[in-house]
Amino acid sequence: MSALASPLAVPARPARSAAPRAVTPVVVTRAQRRARPRVVYAGVAVSGLFVILLAQLLLSIVLSDGAYRISALQTQTVVLDQNAQVLVESLDTLRSPQYLAANAESLGMVANASPAYLRLADSTVLGSPIAAGAGAGVLDGRDTMIGNVLLADVGLVTPVPEGEAPGVAPASTAPGSLASPPVGPAPSGALPSPVSR
Amino acid sequence: MSEQGRTRRRLAATIIIVVAIVAAFGVRLVDIQVVRAEQLSQESEARRSIPSPLYGARGDILDREGTVLADSVFRYDIAVSPQFVKDFTTLDPLSGERVSRTVWQGISDIGALTGEDPARMLAMIDAELAANPDDDHAYLVRRVSTEVFQSVRELGVPWVYFQRLPSRTYPNGQVAGNLVGFLGTDGPQTGLEYRVNDCLGAQNGSSTYERGADGVRLPGTTVVQEEAVDGGTLHLTIDADVQWFAQQTIAEEGARLGAEWATAMVVRVDDGHIIAAADWPTVDPNDVNGTHPDNLGSRAFTASYEPGSTIKSLTFAALFDAGVTTPRDRVIAPRSYPTVGSYRIGDAWDHGDLRLTSAGVLMNSSNTGTSVLSERLSLQQRFDYLTRFGLGQQTAVDFLGEEPGTVREPDSIDGHSAVTQMFGQGMTVTSAQVASAYQAIANGGVRHPLTLVTSCEHPDGSSTHVPAQEPVRVVSESAARSTVDILESVATDGWLRSSLQVPGYRVAAKTGTAEVAEFGSYGDERIVSVAGMAPADDPEFVVITTFVKPDTMKTSAAAAPAFQSIMTQVLGTYRVSPSTQPATRYPLTW
Repeated sequence: MSALASPLAVPARPARSAAPRAVTPVVVTRAQRRARPRVVYAGVAVSGLFVILLAQLLLSIVLSDGAYRISALQTQTVVLDQNAQVLVESLDTLRSPQYLAANAESLGMVANASPAYLRLADSTVLGSPIAAGAGAGVLDGRDTMIGNVLLADVGLVTPVPEGEAPGVAPASTAPGSLASPPVGPAPSGALPSPVSR
Repeated sequence: MSEQGRTRRRLAATIIIVVAIVAAFGVRLVDIQVVRAEQLSQESEARRSIPSPLYGARGDILDREGTVLADSVFRYDIAVSPQFVKDFTTLDPLSGERVSRTVWQGISDIGALTGEDPARMLAMIDAELAANPDDDHAYLVRRVSTEVFQSVRELGVPWVYFQRLPSRTYPNGQVAGNLVGFLGTDGPQTGLEYRVNDCLGAQNGSSTYERGADGVRLPGTTVVQEEAVDGGTLHLTIDADVQWFAQQTIAEEGARLGAEWATAMVVRVDDGHIIAAADWPTVDPNDVNGTHPDNLGSRAFTASYEPGSTIKSLTFAALFDAGVTTPRDRVIAPRSYPTVGSYRIGDAWDHGDLRLTSAGVLMNSSNTGTSVLSERLSLQQRFDYLTRFGLGQQTAVDFLGEEPGTVREPDSIDGHSAVTQMFGQGMTVTSAQVASAYQAIANGGVRHPLTLVTSCEHPDGSSTHVPAQEPVRVVSESAARSTVDILESVATDGWLRSSLQVPGYRVAAKTGTAEVAEFGSYGDERIVSVAGMAPADDPEFVVITTFVKPDTMKTSAAAAPAFQSIMTQVLGTYRVSPSTQPATRYPLTW
């Protein structure tokens, strides 16, 4: 074995360098083939990335859209609060007693200073019923002497001032208007009713 | 060597320069980021962020039905940043396009909406800029209403901004203006606004917002440092409708009589709640300068006067309670009654010795008969009874500037005043005190503290300022009942019966015509009053009307129509059951 090997020992180097030239078929094992990266995986990973990015984008669009809506609704709340304040303010002034009395007077309303009551238990009339006369208005033709500068520019409600409702802008039809709560089924069992004995 | 050496030197120089530059930047970095970091960030913050106060809403004042007597509203100051005033563009709401507007156009639009002179506003902006080119704040128009503010805001002028201010409005004007008081520029000035400020007052908070280079407020930059706390809602016992009616009635009557001033009070018998406390003349809190400063408060609480005969009801209730007389007790009311020295007490009409019962003395309002009977009480007893009726001390309402009146102490009183005090001369009371004393007589002898404020309801749901109800028994129930029965005869048999009766109801009342002491002696002037209750069979309401120094009529007949009118209105408003039982009648003479 060694006799055969020794003459070959010197040119062994070139022989080795020439050795790869002899193409030997690489036998890929089944396991190796399975381990090789596949294009479909890459495709899935990349498209997954894009899906995530897209979802994120859509999510942020929806979120910011919601934020704008919140902001718009908050602004609307402020404006509606202000309108409510203006209306309550004028309502409180219009229902002040001196204004109501002056209006009742101008409409010819009279007050009965001597009311009578009917007691149902024994059908008795209590009090001394006296019909109110034409001049039995609260002010009875006199001027109201209780001033209110807030009413200085407010005229009396004359009999036909129809169609002059205070200018309230119609409610804006914002998306997502509040739905009225669904009416549930009538509660079975006892309905609220007065207790009679 | 030479080639290589030069290269090395150049390299060294470059490195040194680079190191020096990096070191310089490093030092600067540390200086900015570490050494002066806080100061610089504060400076930048201050340049962008603008402090802005948050105002809490002052609490409302409501009557017993929830009618708003004092309301917190918001008013707006329209301000401008003079340094940013220049031509601007705005979105045309019709075409949807941006249109450019000049400064003059912007100012003119604001002027048209607010009624201010645009030339004046422009001159003001120029003056501000001349004084300080970086000026940031000047008021264009102050305290405009919400409607005006909304329309100005819709103009979209970028250099205009708004400050929301809490303000006060009194929707009912003069109705209860005497009680509610008002707010001045420096806060509450008088009335309940002042007295109960600890309930009504709001705590202001603070916030900041940031502003861009063009002066526009950056959205979403508002930072609240401290939340504002709203004031509490004050609930009163007043009924605004009855209050108005009482005010209207005494105003008409007072003007007709040429009186100096007048008051009327309505008190519920069961609990001492003040349904109405009217004053004439009075103030409209929306227009404080429209009336004389003397009329800003409530004279029902703050003016004490010698009441005269209305006090006799208290005296007789005390006499019956002490057991020294009975309604049927026979008394001789002399023509005049000597007290001390040459002092004598007489009656309003001339008469010889009158054979009256105790009931007759009270019904006829005889001073001499009252004097004879009063002497049966010790000085201490007289003082104690009047004090227990609430005279000589402030009522539980503790109204701003309330007068305690005077009841003279037994150890310092003179012999004459000790008698006159029992029929309302030589002592002083307020209308509120008389109303409170009559409430005790009407309530079977038990006096409830007068109540004006029922509670203060805070935003967190808690309640304060709830008055402690500690009723005091002043006289026995039978003594009170006898007194009411006798007072009823004033309305059925007295000389004012036609103007005291309310159809369907039994009324019990006492008149008073007091002489007014001026400059040390009693002159021609009178204070006339009627105090009473209805229905007499089970009293529910006490009404007292007082007119001071009437010109055209100087007897208590002057106060009777107002009493009757107010009592009728109160009985109808509260649906009081008409009287069904017949009255108890006592013999008046013997």
